[in-house]
Amino acid sequence: MSEMFYWQALNRAMDAEMAADETVLTLGEDVGLYGGTYRVTEGLMAKYGEWRVRDTPISENSFTGLGVGAAMLGLRPVVEIMTINFALFAMDAIVNMAAKIPFMSGGQFPMPLTIRMPGGVAKQLGAQHSQRLEHMLMNVPGLRMAVPATPQDAYWQLRQAIRSDDPVIVLEHELLYFSKGGVDEMISAPPIHQALVRRQGRDITCVAYSRMLPLALQAAEALAAEGIELTVIDLRSLSPIDWDTCIAAVEQTHRCLIVEEDCRFAGAGAELAATLQEHCFYLLDAPIRRVAGMDIPTPFNGTLEAASIPQADDIVQAARQMMARNGAVR
Amino acid sequence: MKTEITMPVLSDTMQTGRLTRWNKSVGDAVKKGEAVAEVETDKAILDVEAFSDGYLTGPLAAVDTDIPVRQVIGYIADAPEAAQTDTGSAETATPGTPPAPPSVPPGAVAEKKTTPPDKLPPAISTAAATPADSGFLEKPAPLPQPHVVAAQTPSVHGLPASPYARALARDLELDILQVKAGPDGTIHAAQVLAAALAPQDADLRMGPPYTIERPNILRAAVARNMSATLNTPAFLISSRFALAPLHAAAKAAGLSLTLALSRACALTVAEDPWFNHAWTQEGLAKRSRVDMGVAVDTGNGLITPVLRDAAKRPLKELAEDWRILLGKVKKGRIYPEDYQGASFYLSNLGVFPQIERFNAIVPVGASAILAVAAAGSDGLTDFTLSCDHRVIFGADAARFLQRLGKRMEDPSWLAGGEGQP
Repeated sequence: MSEMFYWQALNRAMDAEMAADETVLTLGEDVGLYGGTYRVTEGLMAKYGEWRVRDTPISENSFTGLGVGAAMLGLRPVVEIMTINFALFAMDAIVNMAAKIPFMSGGQFPMPLTIRMPGGVAKQLGAQHSQRLEHMLMNVPGLRMAVPATPQDAYWQLRQAIRSDDPVIVLEHELLYFSKGGVDEMISAPPIHQALVRRQGRDITCVAYSRMLPLALQAAEALAAEGIELTVIDLRSLSPIDWDTCIAAVEQTHRCLIVEEDCRFAGAGAELAATLQEHCFYLLDAPIRRVAGMDIPTPFNGTLEAASIPQADDIVQAARQMMARNGAVR
Repeated sequence: MKTEITMPVLSDTMQTGRLTRWNKSVGDAVKKGEAVAEVETDKAILDVEAFSDGYLTGPLAAVDTDIPVRQVIGYIADAPEAAQTDTGSAETATPGTPPAPPSVPPGAVAEKKTTPPDKLPPAISTAAATPADSGFLEKPAPLPQPHVVAAQTPSVHGLPASPYARALARDLELDILQVKAGPDGTIHAAQVLAAALAPQDADLRMGPPYTIERPNILRAAVARNMSATLNTPAFLISSRFALAPLHAAAKAAGLSLTLALSRACALTVAEDPWFNHAWTQEGLAKRSRVDMGVAVDTGNGLITPVLRDAAKRPLKELAEDWRILLGKVKKGRIYPEDYQGASFYLSNLGVFPQIERFNAIVPVGASAILAVAAAGSDGLTDFTLSCDHRVIFGADAARFLQRLGKRMEDPSWLAGGEGQP
């Protein structure tokens, strides 16, 4: 086990897979000489050469399409899109090609394609660079989407994505690249889609993913001091979602709070709330509640930006309100 | 600026207090330390004092309502103008929801309260959207107000209940219509569980017509305390002694019979430490001082003022304490520290000549209680000791009564008023 940054964990995963399998290659803007916008491909070009670590022009649809073609021909390409905001250019390659070719070919063409991209609200990057578009990609049957929140998961899940014969989006978060955590390269990984219980509590099941996980854990600490105990679930995957873990937790707490940075309307939280109430209706002692980003383009102003997405205190407030009983906060 | 007036907490077990009256009206000037309201707790009526100078302002909590401790019941403004601006009811005011916190724009708050989350517009596509008509409203979502919750929660014949509460009621074969909603107007699992664990109410439907009257807070407290003793495994043991010698000695010493009896009991308890133990989940609580609780009939219920250190302190001092305690009982101004925590209790119904014998219930936290009846035609009085069998065994109790009997019959220890044996 060694401590490392999230970006370093991704870099290790890339290195390990490229060393293990020469069909693995990576391509995208600045992945070669520059080492990737967030340093994830740092040092790979020197090690594996420019054929396997390819700098591309600014042409997301084209180089993602190239990745689709390469995957069809038996390679294991890892496409890096600089941010999820630019993935909109590549939607045809992702939605119409990557997600559908295995199905339309009756399985004759597997799609061992990995698409890495950061998303989320960072620090004052403006509305066009601060989007959370996971809801769009969740709505594409045929795609898998991993959302690692820790360096360990970044390491495990990227390696699993590269080895998968399905097209997998690895959705990273711009503010997590420089978060630090332990990474053990020797222990075996849980399945890529399995949700993990990060904290056990008695009162509320809090479902979070990506950067909302550390905020949920922070809120859980604050709430524990008041006697409100949260179970915190890290989803780790938005497609598919590990319902069993979520349902088992709600069975114990009878309350469910969903936290997402994405806009509230028609987002991941909406899907979670809808499906969990289908399974847990008779177990719920309060309506399922969501803490989510506002349904607005992200403001540039720092204060407004922070106010537009959930903070730990919002989670604390929501949990307190869910537990409000007998006219007073418990 | 407004400061909050909250429901005071007067004991560890106090969960609610009943606001019985406001001594001032909105806009009235109040001085620090002045009583602005009256609150009825388990056993007493108490003043709620102002913590600062200023002017009483609303929203004020409604009188004759039970309010959780620490909940805001009103405000004191530092200027008369501020006091006049808010005269509404504080029925929904809680510590978590002071009216219009300064950090939130007033417009946004007003809008939040009137727009349930599920009625929000589906989409906002431009940055020009204003807070009043956009999803801005949802963060943070408003604290659910009772009427909003009621409107959103599925109802059972008009009574809102959470799905889990209903499922639980079904599994426990409990009629959810018989379950009382929580103060937020909704039946949650906690209410169903409480109903399932509570003793069953009498089914009065087939009997004579009736009306339900809420018990006064003292009667409710006695009912609660007596129910809490259900799990005390008690046994009873009786003896008959002449009380007349003690009565005469007390009279000679200028003391009341109650005080003389209390002293006799306290001295007897002091001789056998088991009678000064209490059973707890963790173990036996071994006390180092004998505090005597003495049952007093208020005419409207039972209360047990406590004579602290009743075995050792001078009788004159105890007599003065007793006089003060009775005064407090009479005025309804007795505090929890005056009536809680005795290690042994005395209940004397000897003033009723027809009472030949009776049993008393061992209060939680005590080892035993002594019931003293009226003297019979043979001049002897029945003393019945109820003991917590987890602490006291039969032979201990027999020896206790033996020693107490000797003390009754030879009250020389009372002479001089100091009463040391």
